[in-house]
Amino acid sequence: MINEFLYKDELIETSVEPKDGRVEVSVNGNLYSIIPAGANRFSVDINGKKKTACCIIKDNKSYVDIDGVLLELIIPSEDGANAGGGAGVGEKDKVYAPMPGKIVKLLVKEGDEVTAKQPLVIVEAMKMENQVNSPSDGKVKKINFADGDQVDTDTPIIELEIAE
Amino acid sequence: MVKLENMSKKLFNKILVSNRGEIAVRVINACRLLGVPTLAIYSTADKDAVHVKAADEAVEIGPPPPRESYLNIDKIIQTALENKCDAIHPGYGFLAENPDFPDKCKEAGVTFIGPSGESMRLMGNKVQARIKMSGAGVPLIPGMKAAGATIEEFEKAADEAGYPVLIKAAAGGGGKGMRVVKEKKDLKESVEAAKREAKNAFNDDTVYLEKYIEDPRHIEFQVLADTHGNVIHLYERECSIQRRHQKIIEETPSIAVTPEIRRQMGEAAVKVTQAADYVNAGTIEFLLDKNGGFYFLEMNTRVQVEHPVTEMVTGVDLVAEQIKIAAGEKISESAMNAVQTGHSIECRIYAEDAENGFLPSSGKILFYNEPAGPGIRVDTGVTGGTVVGVEYDPILAKLIVFAPDRDLAISKMINALKDYKILGIKTSRKFMIDVLAHPEFKAGRTYTDFIDRNMGDREEEANLAELAAAISSAAMMTKPALSTAGYGLKQTRLSPWQTIGAWEIGMRISK
Repeated sequence: MINEFLYKDELIETSVEPKDGRVEVSVNGNLYSIIPAGANRFSVDINGKKKTACCIIKDNKSYVDIDGVLLELIIPSEDGANAGGGAGVGEKDKVYAPMPGKIVKLLVKEGDEVTAKQPLVIVEAMKMENQVNSPSDGKVKKINFADGDQVDTDTPIIELEIAE
Repeated sequence: MVKLENMSKKLFNKILVSNRGEIAVRVINACRLLGVPTLAIYSTADKDAVHVKAADEAVEIGPPPPRESYLNIDKIIQTALENKCDAIHPGYGFLAENPDFPDKCKEAGVTFIGPSGESMRLMGNKVQARIKMSGAGVPLIPGMKAAGATIEEFEKAADEAGYPVLIKAAAGGGGKGMRVVKEKKDLKESVEAAKREAKNAFNDDTVYLEKYIEDPRHIEFQVLADTHGNVIHLYERECSIQRRHQKIIEETPSIAVTPEIRRQMGEAAVKVTQAADYVNAGTIEFLLDKNGGFYFLEMNTRVQVEHPVTEMVTGVDLVAEQIKIAAGEKISESAMNAVQTGHSIECRIYAEDAENGFLPSSGKILFYNEPAGPGIRVDTGVTGGTVVGVEYDPILAKLIVFAPDRDLAISKMINALKDYKILGIKTSRKFMIDVLAHPEFKAGRTYTDFIDRNMGDREEEANLAELAAAISSAAMMTKPALSTAGYGLKQTRLSPWQTIGAWEIGMRISK
């Protein structure tokens, strides 16, 4: 059986076979022998060291914990379209709120030149102020909200014109 | 049936637990230990929350915004009276340090499990508290003697104390409304930001400034005081590992506190408690510098998030002591005679993304599994299926370990963090594993800037993506055949594995 996953825009193909109570998975020519350990749990030997993992699949995402490291893989739908990722993944010209919240202060205005990692806006969520930085060098093309506005994670707060 | 007169004195008829999350559950457990029934309160966002199910009874008190529910003093007291509760435990956060709450409880004839409004008002205002304590002979950090009004006052005070300086909320706690300023040019903006955060968190935008001590350790002392004049301390906690001025890892004993420093700081902590005319459990926070000098920071007039590490090394149930003291009893003999044994560490499990500037993470917990074993304790307010929203503080749970010494406690904590599985939202477990495994942590060089200093360049975990994909494939094989549709299967050959595990232990997954 062949499965496909997306992790940070990288496509990973796996080939899976059950064998002697284990699941053998081949990825990029490497073979992993995975032992189901009940209740969404798995263990696997990596170079003689045992790692304990946990995985749950919901909608089009696979949530994996390997010794406390969290990874989220997107499972592309069968028609080949990448349904996952949500708004904002990999977009260098749009600035989204990291989570739903309230705009405390816009630090730039339309027309401003900005550099990568420059603070652009402060969003408050969970009682903390979170600074959102510019994803790239460029110019502020459009600001869609004002101070005090509620924002979700689907509409960009700021749109940038990326410098060449 | 045993007659009431023959039983030990009943502490309270019923206690209203005025909080949510893990601390509400912790308080409910202490009440159960003492045989006192509990009433939970909840906002509409929390109707399925763990604390609601843990209590004997639960009452909805309002919509999700804290101001309309968990911060609504009149509604909470009215709820207590209507439900025959004769005491209220505030937990930490929310109303725990609002002196109007104990005052209004008193007016209504309900016992507030905590200090009086008066001593809370004194210690809650960090500026007043410092003035009072400097009079009592407790050492202080140089800085403003009063809250600043104009930016010129802040600039003058900063120039006098010398940069870097720290802006703090007068009504503050938990890192909210707090800013470090390294240069004069950043002062104005930081003061404004601190005021906004303070206004939002405490409805009071008063901030002040003090000198920022470099290379400090955050050492605090747990104190207990009863209405019979007994005041004791239950040793220190080191809480130097902080991000954005919020503690994430705490331990006791502190590697930097020698028996002589412990004696001096313990005496100072008792002195502060007495000077504040304080009753119930409290915490005296100090900064300890490189040379063993210590400075009084503030007193927290509530049970602390990190209280369990003290419980582990002393065997004292601090919340039970709070309840008994509020009922007019003396501090228990076991607490009066408590000694410090072994080593305990606590890790706070926050819903946050450590790989992305510790931004809060929200969503539904799809899978939840706690570690277990000797010396492992989990205080949690969540479980599988819990929806973590954006309305409240992102603390989900606390993992606490106890071991004979520090090295063993560190190993035990690392293993427990690896075994603590929470999927669906981001938590900072891996980040804390990296902190605990860091040579500087193991060596005990734990200053309050530990994370900025040591945790800047962490390895990306992308090299685990391949393994994660392999595990996901194995997980998909153990899924029922029906639900594999749409999971990206190129071939849909049914294997015996697809008939295994048609359900998941711990919770049902709803679409």
